[in-house]
Amino acid sequence: MLRVTDLQAGYGGSEVLHSLSLEVGEGEAVVVLGPNGHGKTTLLRAISGLIRPTAGTVEFDGQVISGMRASEIVAAGVIHIPQGDLPFPELTVMENLLMGAYRPEAWQERKRKMELVFELFPVLGERTSQLARSLSGGERRMLALGRGLMAKAKILMIDEPSLGLAPFLIENVYHAIQEINKNGMAILLVDENADHIEDLADRVYLLESGAVVKEGTVEDVFSDEALLAAYLG
Amino acid sequence: MEKLFQAIYGGILYGSIYGLMAIGLTLIWGSLRMLNLAHGSMYLVGGYVAWAALNQWALPALPSFALGVIAAALMGLIIQVLLINRILGRSEFFNAAMIATVGAAIVIDSAMLLIFGPRVKQMPPVFQGQFKFAGVVITYQGLLIVVVALISFALLWLFLSRSRHGLSIQAVSQQMDAARLMGIPTVTTFMIVMTISGALAGLAGVLLSSVFYLSPTAGFNPMVKALVVTIFGGLGSVKGTIWAAYVIGLVEAFLQVYFGAGAALPGLFLFMIVMLVIRPSGLFGLGEAQRL
Repeated sequence: MLRVTDLQAGYGGSEVLHSLSLEVGEGEAVVVLGPNGHGKTTLLRAISGLIRPTAGTVEFDGQVISGMRASEIVAAGVIHIPQGDLPFPELTVMENLLMGAYRPEAWQERKRKMELVFELFPVLGERTSQLARSLSGGERRMLALGRGLMAKAKILMIDEPSLGLAPFLIENVYHAIQEINKNGMAILLVDENADHIEDLADRVYLLESGAVVKEGTVEDVFSDEALLAAYLG
Repeated sequence: MEKLFQAIYGGILYGSIYGLMAIGLTLIWGSLRMLNLAHGSMYLVGGYVAWAALNQWALPALPSFALGVIAAALMGLIIQVLLINRILGRSEFFNAAMIATVGAAIVIDSAMLLIFGPRVKQMPPVFQGQFKFAGVVITYQGLLIVVVALISFALLWLFLSRSRHGLSIQAVSQQMDAARLMGIPTVTTFMIVMTISGALAGLAGVLLSSVFYLSPTAGFNPMVKALVVTIFGGLGSVKGTIWAAYVIGLVEAFLQVYFGAGAALPGLFLFMIVMLVIRPSGLFGLGEAQRL
């Protein structure tokens, strides 16, 4: 479904990603693990079009999306839920969610989608007229996920869902992501933290210095003690 | 008592004018993060095109004014497409955009001079006449300005807060990367903002050219006042700008009525300096920290 081939990307002349290749199949949940600064966020930004790759290709559903504008990549069904949530701070929870459904095909279904989001995250339903900037960390995370779900997504790319959250909140978030994946949504998730990925991940990539150093199932990766120590610290 | 009502009416009138001029600037700052120094020229285009329609093409009043507003809106769009789109995303965008819009302003103002000549023009007011209420002289034209301004503010607010495109403009202003990730086309958004801003400046030009004379340099003062209002209300905040417009309008009117015309400007600047010391990001500003 999503195929990244030999991707190179970076900022202001310095390359962060070096010939990175990975794949996500239909309905698969793929996790990319890597320490901070090694290119996890850059990878997602290069796929979603926030930055332009300098070399390599990204294909989605048979279409080459690398080099397309971010808004066109969204139209193709690739939805990026960014690190740090990036809410619209002066808009309400409801308005933030509505913006997730900005594109015409998603806008038509916004009422139904919103109900689904409130089923998954009841807290959001209780706070619809609250300004996003006054939400707690966990609520902002749920808002970011909910906002992503409002779009007509074929794949959700999630950047560090555990960032800055208390442990029990992290469990809730990963549980929600599992639910979403169980309903058939393809997931590409990047994180620094390997604690909660066991039940979610169909496959794992280990990322180091902008390139993939190992690929396999959770068992494959977790059985290599030395490698794991490098990632769990 | 009469003085009080005079000051209140004056304040509301000035506030309406400042608001019409300033809202466009704040919308542009909020979404594009640039200062549009061609804003005064769009005010001028509105006034001049309306004047030409009325006096040279002998169109009736309402279509003439509509033409003025449309011409100014188109001018805003042209500036965006020809100039700003080419420099978007560059590292020195803020300075480059300022210089580009100054350039556009020089071109437009000179064109007005060439086409219409240096002699001042006056637009006949839409409604002639005046009446007295509670001892205050109120012109029908003044009343029209206030009503049109209030209706424009209300319509703009409805658009920004209740429509998909209006919300998307707010979204782009508040978090551009997130907006792009929702599929909001930022370039189109900028074009819509510049068009609306041009239309509002043109509307101000059309309404005010009957109160003040129309000349090739007439756009400068309203633009400077609009900038001051925008900064005072907090760059990027539409709500703040409207509040600021009326606060500044009322302060100016009160100073004029009670201390004479000469006291108005110095008093106003003093008031603003004090306010900005207390609240550097303006009344409701999207503060520096948020912008960065």
